[in-house]
Amino acid sequence: MMLDIRGLQMSYGTEPVLENVDLEVKPGEFVSLIGPSGCGKSTLLRALMGLQKPSAGDVYLGLTRREIGLLFQDDALLPWRTARDNVALGLRIRGTAKAEARRTAMQWLDSVGLGQFGDRYPRELSGGQRKRVAIAQVLALRPKLLLMDEPFASLDAIVRHYLTEDLLDWVEKEHLTVLMVTHDLEEAVAVSDRVVLLGNGPRAHVKGRWEIDLPRPRDLLRVKEERQFAVTARALWDALSEEVRAPAARQRTETEAATP
Amino acid sequence: MKRETLWLQLRRAGALALVLLLWEGISALGWIDPFYAPPPSAIGGAIAELFVEGDIYEHLEATFGAALLGLFLGLIGGALLGFIAALLRPVAELLEPVMAMLNAIPRVILAPLFIIWLGIGIASKVALSFILVVVLTFFAVYNGIRDVDTRLVERVKTLGGGPLVLLREVYVPSVVAWVMGSLKVAVGFAFTGAVVGEFVASSRGLGYLLAFAQSTYNAALTFALIVLVLVFVMILFGLAGVLERYLLRWKYR
Repeated sequence: MMLDIRGLQMSYGTEPVLENVDLEVKPGEFVSLIGPSGCGKSTLLRALMGLQKPSAGDVYLGLTRREIGLLFQDDALLPWRTARDNVALGLRIRGTAKAEARRTAMQWLDSVGLGQFGDRYPRELSGGQRKRVAIAQVLALRPKLLLMDEPFASLDAIVRHYLTEDLLDWVEKEHLTVLMVTHDLEEAVAVSDRVVLLGNGPRAHVKGRWEIDLPRPRDLLRVKEERQFAVTARALWDALSEEVRAPAARQRTETEAATP
Repeated sequence: MKRETLWLQLRRAGALALVLLLWEGISALGWIDPFYAPPPSAIGGAIAELFVEGDIYEHLEATFGAALLGLFLGLIGGALLGFIAALLRPVAELLEPVMAMLNAIPRVILAPLFIIWLGIGIASKVALSFILVVVLTFFAVYNGIRDVDTRLVERVKTLGGGPLVLLREVYVPSVVAWVMGSLKVAVGFAFTGAVVGEFVASSRGLGYLLAFAQSTYNAALTFALIVLVLVFVMILFGLAGVLERYLLRWKYR
């Protein structure tokens, strides 16, 4: 097992955001985590990265933290460093000599299609290009597990499509295991081996798991014509809308109870 | 774009020339009393005289020396204090109210005190420049560090960076950006400090000359000195701008 979470509880103050969450990811798997907004999906990733401590439960990592790559929703590139130096930063932190780090960085920029843009500052790049720099920065560290938090949420549809396609290529090429947080249901079904649905917060826990045993690598457009895609997407849609509607119903009951 | 800015500058220069010409003309016609508003030619003459006789140099040196030293110390001191206060809670608790109070008062009222403490030489002028600049810089850096982009901090951390890397890659560049942002205001403040200090008590400097010109009701010399201060501060503004565009080239390129 590359990643095994048992009975995880995460709290802000005394209120548990996540409660009794179980999740496992095998080497080579692509797993997506979906759920309503604010249910604690990102909090779970933060626990895995050691950015926030769980209040209960176990997190087993079959690798060291250095072997985990992380892609955030917002590209957090250093604005005062060029694309090349942003990519080199991770390598520099891990002790690679400057010249060597820059050479490797240029190779990675080249492989994400930005070989010409090494000297540009983030401000001089488009949203999609900045995302590619962020990807190069992560891949340059040769991670085994990639954690992603709505990596392409801020991009427009076409850019997003091609970036996702390229990302899938890199995942295959680098034999990456992936855990992706998203609220895009179709994207999750299209790219994943398994989709895990997290219920409503607070005290969110896993509400269901869907295996998508379509062969990989997949063609992002073709896969949507598959029968299994349609069936799984539909089932997920039903489960997710139930979760999204649930808090409204709960709130109604609370309001009624509060009125004497 | 470049052409348009050039054209704009030309129109501005033209307007200024027109105002000066009108002023000169009105003076020549005797419509305004040269005792209060001497014509531009007389002011120009006064400036020329200052340089020809050569007395001005020691005064320029005094004012520039005080202003630049106060500016330099104020920037370093403000950045350092702001940095420490932002990172160490107890220091912030002590410093913030003091700085807020200093920020609220017109700090030039401290000039007489500095003269009592430090004498009428350059030290009291440096002190006044310093106190004007240090408060400004302190708040720029202190607030700046507290608003540092947490996404950048987390990014560097997840890439494996420790406190030293964070300092070098995130905090120091952020501080430089904020200090540069208030550099031009700081230049103005530094000159205010030096000139006001000289005004109050001194034996040299543009502020001293100004006080002298005023006490002898020499309007032409007063105007000449105002123009001089203006020109030199503009030159420093230009230099500050060049430095800003170089250090923040990631923003301006």
